[in-house]
Amino acid sequence: MGRAVKDKAANALEVKIAGLKFKNPVMTASGTFGYGAEFMPYMDLSKLGAIVVKGLSLYPRQGNPSPRIVETPCGMLNAIGLQNVGVDDFIEKKLPLLKGVDTHVIANIFGETIEDYIEVAKRFDNAKGVSALEINISCPNVKKGGIVFGTDPSEAFKVVSAVRNATRLPIITKLSPNVTDIKVMVKAAEDGGSDAISLINTITGMVIDVEKRRPVLATATGGLSGPAIRPIAVRMVWQAAQVAKVPIIGMGGIMSANDALEFIIAGATAVQVGTANFIEPDSSVRVAVGIAEYVSRKKTRITDVIGSLRIA
Amino acid sequence: MEIKSEILYNDRLTEGYYRLGLSWRAPRVKAGHFVMLRVSDGLDPLLRRPFGIYRTIKGKGVELLYRVVGKGTEILSQKRPGERLGILGPLGNGFTLPEKGRRAVMLTGGMGIVPLYMLAEGLEAGTLIFGARSRRETFLLKDFRKFGLKIKTATEDGSIGRKGLATDLLEEELTPETIVYACGPMGMLKAAASIAKRSGAKCMVSLERSMACGIGVCLGCAVKARPRKDEKENRLYKMVCSDGPVFDSEEIDWDVL
Repeated sequence: MGRAVKDKAANALEVKIAGLKFKNPVMTASGTFGYGAEFMPYMDLSKLGAIVVKGLSLYPRQGNPSPRIVETPCGMLNAIGLQNVGVDDFIEKKLPLLKGVDTHVIANIFGETIEDYIEVAKRFDNAKGVSALEINISCPNVKKGGIVFGTDPSEAFKVVSAVRNATRLPIITKLSPNVTDIKVMVKAAEDGGSDAISLINTITGMVIDVEKRRPVLATATGGLSGPAIRPIAVRMVWQAAQVAKVPIIGMGGIMSANDALEFIIAGATAVQVGTANFIEPDSSVRVAVGIAEYVSRKKTRITDVIGSLRIA
Repeated sequence: MEIKSEILYNDRLTEGYYRLGLSWRAPRVKAGHFVMLRVSDGLDPLLRRPFGIYRTIKGKGVELLYRVVGKGTEILSQKRPGERLGILGPLGNGFTLPEKGRRAVMLTGGMGIVPLYMLAEGLEAGTLIFGARSRRETFLLKDFRKFGLKIKTATEDGSIGRKGLATDLLEEELTPETIVYACGPMGMLKAAASIAKRSGAKCMVSLERSMACGIGVCLGCAVKARPRKDEKENRLYKMVCSDGPVFDSEEIDWDVL
């Protein structure tokens, strides 16, 4: 391929979100990709649109007791409990490992109070190498805070606007599917000043050991992910796209380029690959390659595929 | 980067037990390492399964021993030579051979014997204490006879060896100069840890936990850790896949298992 042709092919995959250019619409989902460097032995991280790292809190978090995961039909249930090294350790020790990787790094942040969110967001003021913040208001595993922000539109508005005022970085709000009307939550995040919306986080679920008559997970309930939730996720992205003024990043059980394209056709500007990273570490790159093939086969560009759903 | 291994053999040893040979260019396999196998390209079961490496097959690949315990191993047991399986590994830290002057005592029950084969290969001498429900499972010892180990057996039904648990035979083997290598059910490991402590012996345990990734990112395979003075960062949980699966028994908080 000549250079011009190659550039054209590359441009056909480029998307823009919050003023940032992404070389392709494929990102990794927070909580499934560690801090990025863990995947260097398995793939070239530069082939991704962005890396979204594990959710970061103001102080390190130890996470939940074990068992934390259980496999379910076409999916898995997890209650990790947001175990992470804390924002300062991330910036000092993990972020430098991604230096030289030619892709955007997006830091996922969360807190138990609005003040926590503000503090974590501010820590990135002087941290080079982070392009945007993804605000997690939707983790179902934290007893305090999280679930309230994610399911109550006025609380979501408050936390998003607080982060908006605390940082100059673009912000993406990650929404919970555990709500009655996703459109209300989209509106709340937008009104709070979110530059983009990502969805869906995991769906609350439960598995019971019938012999012991006990929940399998130590925390009783957990978040369901994997292909089992994909049709729900596609539906919610499609609903969100009806009302959203900002770009949508879709996720939920994406295993292949075909899965990712469902989200994009439903209205997502970009996608995140999550649980698939556990099964094939380089799943995200494969999804990106598959999308490139589709775009080339259809003689189109990704921006023309976004929201191209035909409803007769 | 999908690594596929070809099945060389998948022989049934006895009801529910299989020996699986995989053609796979495994880099530097160490005793106690494990692999994550993808038993199906479909979506159910979705996750890879962890398997301890039994031994290497010179120049060809690795051999695993497994027991059919669920859907994943059931599917695996139906696979035929020539079929290909996704494989990720070798993973984990593995066992370290005893320092000079330390006598090795291996303690195991049932399929816990798997990661001990390569360890036994590296030992000059030692004891192997094997626990089983009945005589039926002692076929697992056959491969170990050639190592010249002292082998002691305990069965729950008394059909061979001492009637009782393998841990009943542990204490009499221990001195402060012993190192115990244990792999088996959690209850056995917990008992081994406490017996070893009482005798002043060192004790290394290989743990098993449900895991999704095997590479330290899903954080699903957590075990509660005991804070240690010599560690810089005291984490409440350790990951079986990336911090282990082999731990010094002192690292583990046995009260919460």
